[in-house]
Amino acid sequence: MTELSRRDFLKLASQGLLAVSGLLGLGMIARFLGYQTDPPPPTEFDLGPAAGYPVGTRTPVPQVPALLIHTEAGFSALSLACTHLGCTLEPAADGFACPCHGSRFDADGKVTHGPAAKALIPLRVEQDDQGRVILYTEG
Amino acid sequence: MRPNFFHHIHPPTIPAAQARWRYTLGAGGTAVFLTLVLVATGALEMFYYIPTPAEAALSIQTLSYAVPFGGLLRNLHFWAAQLLLVVSAAHLVRIVFTGAYAPPRRFNYLLGLALFVLAILLDFTGYVLRWDVGIQWALVVGTNLLKSIPGVGNALYAAAVGGSQPGPATLIRFYSWHVFGLALLAAIVTVWHAFRVRRDGGAAVPTPDLRTDPGRISRFELVRREALAMVFTGAALLLLSAFFPAPIAPAMTGITALSGDARAPWFFLWVQQMLEWGDPFVWGVLVPLLVLIVLALIPYVFPQPARHELGRWFPRSNRLAQAALAVIALVFLLFTLLALIPAA
Ligand code: FES
Repeated sequence: MTELSRRDFLKLASQGLLAVSGLLGLGMIARFLGYQTDPPPPTEFDLGPAAGYPVGTRTPVPQVPALLIHTEAGFSALSLACTHLGCTLEPAADGFACPCHGSRFDADGKVTHGPAAKALIPLRVEQDDQGRVILYTEG
Repeated sequence: MRPNFFHHIHPPTIPAAQARWRYTLGAGGTAVFLTLVLVATGALEMFYYIPTPAEAALSIQTLSYAVPFGGLLRNLHFWAAQLLLVVSAAHLVRIVFTGAYAPPRRFNYLLGLALFVLAILLDFTGYVLRWDVGIQWALVVGTNLLKSIPGVGNALYAAAVGGSQPGPATLIRFYSWHVFGLALLAAIVTVWHAFRVRRDGGAAVPTPDLRTDPGRISRFELVRREALAMVFTGAALLLLSAFFPAPIAPAMTGITALSGDARAPWFFLWVQQMLEWGDPFVWGVLVPLLVLIVLALIPYVFPQPARHELGRWFPRSNRLAQAALAVIALVFLLFTLLALIPAA
């Protein structure tokens, strides 16, 4: 082995080592920052006795955010998070309007004006044994 | 006169033609001055600011309305940050419109561009620290844009937000990036950028045999001019701070609650405008990234400025690069104006 090739080998080895440690370090930082300290937001909201929401009412629930709808057919709910980038929708004359980029939805949650592409997400509503309304954001 | 420290960090003499205001706009030097103002005012703000969702907005109200000179301090920090973006943009325009990025300054052009991006990130993270209803939607939209990136989106969102929706972890992360992570990176790149100016031979000038004006000015004259620029910039900052207070709004009640102000910070209004056209990833991530790539490629793929045309405005040889930057600047202005016009 000549003197030069040994030097080349050492140079290559040290550069390789540097690159590998750099990548490892980056990966570690990525995993380090990926840890989630905040607990996930609740997926279950107790909205109180059903008597508070007579048939025919549509009640905003800002902490979800959602709209609780009570019709002859029973309780249902719509998520009020805009399906474009997540701003909370404001009530408008014929449905909902997004303050961020101007999406509009009709009263059933269908898109009437972009940029949002998807309809509002329906949420599950149930009543427990004591007649309380429970809203679920998942499942 | 014996040169002091400030004289010593400058070359003994520089060509007079390229030291004129109308050539440099004084933009690079002014950016350094604004950076120093930001470090000083920011360090003082840290004595009162509390990075928790419950107290952030309140601590800013205390700083602004109760602490002696606190309001002035915050206004100075705000205006220095906004001016820094304007001055950096002016610097970029000057460099491209004079062809000053020609080799050997190509790498330093990239360093400058990196500083510009860092300044934007610092401005945005600082804006979010208000944690009031005025920044709520910018935070929601900005972080959800990360999520729209295919593949790495969710990981990026987790790293930026620290949870499944903006909360205490998000605020402390933005705070750490703002006062330390990004600030440290910006400090390193700033020093590197300035070092490369010296290493690459100072401001871009024609070779001596091609110079029409052989005059030079001394470092004493140079420092005098810089001091003058600082006095003007300082006065402008004080006037702006005295008459136009930095924006402030009531504390956020919840990340999902309705809030009146849905406008992006002014330097992202153009993106907010594009987002009205549809797909978040395309308009909110891809297009801004493409703009940045075009800017980065200017010294590498566009026709090079000719040597004999260096050191003055609008060289014929790099017209294409000038046109590209002009188009980007006009589109930015146009979209910003469109976003400011309320929807009918
Ligand atoms: S977030 Fe509602 S339109 Fe963009």
